[in-house]
Amino acid sequence: MAVSELAGLFQGDLPMGSPMVTGDPLLDGPLLWAPLIVVAIKVLVIFVLGLVGTMFMVWFERKVVAGMQNRVGPNKAGPFGILQTLADGIKLFFKEDLLPDRADRFVFRLAPFLAFVPAFLVWSVIPLGGDYSGGRDGIVTILGQQTRVQLADPPIGILLVLAMSSIAVYGIMLAGWSSGSKYPLLGSVRASAQMISYEAALGLSLAAVLVTSGTLSTSGIVASQTTLGSWNLVTTGFIPFIVFLIAATAELNRPPFDLVEAEQELVGGFNTEYSSLRFALFFLAEFMNTITMSAIVVTLFLGGPRPPAIGNTALTIPLIPGALEGTIWFVLKLLVFLYFYVWLRATLPRLRYDQLMNLGWKVLIPISLGWFLLLAAIRVGDSNGWNVIAVVVIALVSLGLGYLLFTAALRVSSRQRDREGAMY
Amino acid sequence: MSQYLPILVLAILAILFGAVSFVASRLLAPNRPSAAKSAPYECGIVPTKDTPQRFPVSFYIVAMLFIMFDIEIIFLYPYAVNSGELGIYGFFAIGLFSVVFFLTFVYEVARGGLDWGPLGQARDLTSLAEMVSPERTATTTVRRVGSEGRFPVSVGVEEK
Repeated sequence: MAVSELAGLFQGDLPMGSPMVTGDPLLDGPLLWAPLIVVAIKVLVIFVLGLVGTMFMVWFERKVVAGMQNRVGPNKAGPFGILQTLADGIKLFFKEDLLPDRADRFVFRLAPFLAFVPAFLVWSVIPLGGDYSGGRDGIVTILGQQTRVQLADPPIGILLVLAMSSIAVYGIMLAGWSSGSKYPLLGSVRASAQMISYEAALGLSLAAVLVTSGTLSTSGIVASQTTLGSWNLVTTGFIPFIVFLIAATAELNRPPFDLVEAEQELVGGFNTEYSSLRFALFFLAEFMNTITMSAIVVTLFLGGPRPPAIGNTALTIPLIPGALEGTIWFVLKLLVFLYFYVWLRATLPRLRYDQLMNLGWKVLIPISLGWFLLLAAIRVGDSNGWNVIAVVVIALVSLGLGYLLFTAALRVSSRQRDREGAMY
Repeated sequence: MSQYLPILVLAILAILFGAVSFVASRLLAPNRPSAAKSAPYECGIVPTKDTPQRFPVSFYIVAMLFIMFDIEIIFLYPYAVNSGELGIYGFFAIGLFSVVFFLTFVYEVARGGLDWGPLGQARDLTSLAEMVSPERTATTTVRRVGSEGRFPVSVGVEEK
């Protein structure tokens, strides 16, 4: 996605005089040994966390789905089968790595990296914790260095996530194309059309969050959600949250939007020809994306690692130091969404492709665009002292006009289609 | 730019992890290629047709529409982040832009650019039913063995 080109625009351009801290204080000064060591520690921790978290997620999904289907699920390797993923991963190391005859050898080898490296990089901008007790702003001290509990805090923040999810489309598209086989090609063409469609809905619902937060930096977005009432979930009026959640599910190619890997029609989808470690990397990327996307939802709409607070009184967990508390809240909020994704998988049947495209283009995108304009109108009216009721009424009337126009277009197209159908 | 340093380090680490895993896998895994293994997957049979090089034009239309929307989003984000400072002028500018944009989208939808799947028309099977009727008829003398009860054959017959 070309939005990453905007990066330059925002660097010097953040709201002046706002209380938000921009950037990680760790990297503001000259780079000496101590900050570099902290960076190294953080990179290693995030890396290990990413791998272990993915392992956990695969196990969690299998176990919960098994529970929902009255099965036991993995229970042999380790306590409760928690090491099952590790065992599967090690098994894949020992499998023969096949390169199909028809494959474009270079692209075939490159594609797993294009899926897997972006999945890792998304971790770097997610606020994973922090000390928010006593009005602090999430800054903790490691080795005498003040820093945030997130790997990097660039001013473009959330744009990096969008850019990475766009690169992941290349990974899937090229994997299918370079396999030189039917099913992977079909799967990857479907996948790329699906992912770019829902990326538009994702981007538009994200714009609503940016209006209320006024910054692209993830720590800034978290900082703007101090109390329960100022969670973006509430301030953007729930609709962008719902749109974002649906679009994120589709972006992840998870059920009920997993047409990419529809076994009944496409065998394995884009990764049919992949085996051994290359397959493992795709698998890893997929589950890591599930975790990071849930973390993004938490960051954008549920206040990230901030404890839920009403007014000035925040919920605190007793006996836990403030610096760890943020992480605990973050993990709790994250687990809600991870469970939600697994639940969707166990419950919903797969959509048909035309239903998928209709949902994305004809429902989610118009809704999120209209909602963004409504929010912007209310904000402009608010800061210029316009009558709130008048603004809302005028905005709703114009959105209603847009809705009528759109339904008319849908009617025209379906009538046209019926005429064409009658010719056969 | 130093804010981006950790991201770069993580990217290098991730690439290294992948590369080292490949080396490990190459050392550990067997390598016994055969013609059957490296043939394109075709559910166990020998592939007879080449992989199609073309796919439906709807996919291209979606891709083009996406570029449009991406541009829309690119223009929305700077406004969204600075909506406070841009004030009334900014709002009406973005509103006008969105209206023009929305109209083109409505046109595209009305033209059927986003319609997918087979054309939704139930086919009239009466003549077909007559043709495959288990009885011999005036239109065909072919008796379809095993078609008894499988087609709504009575439709065509009873009307006579």
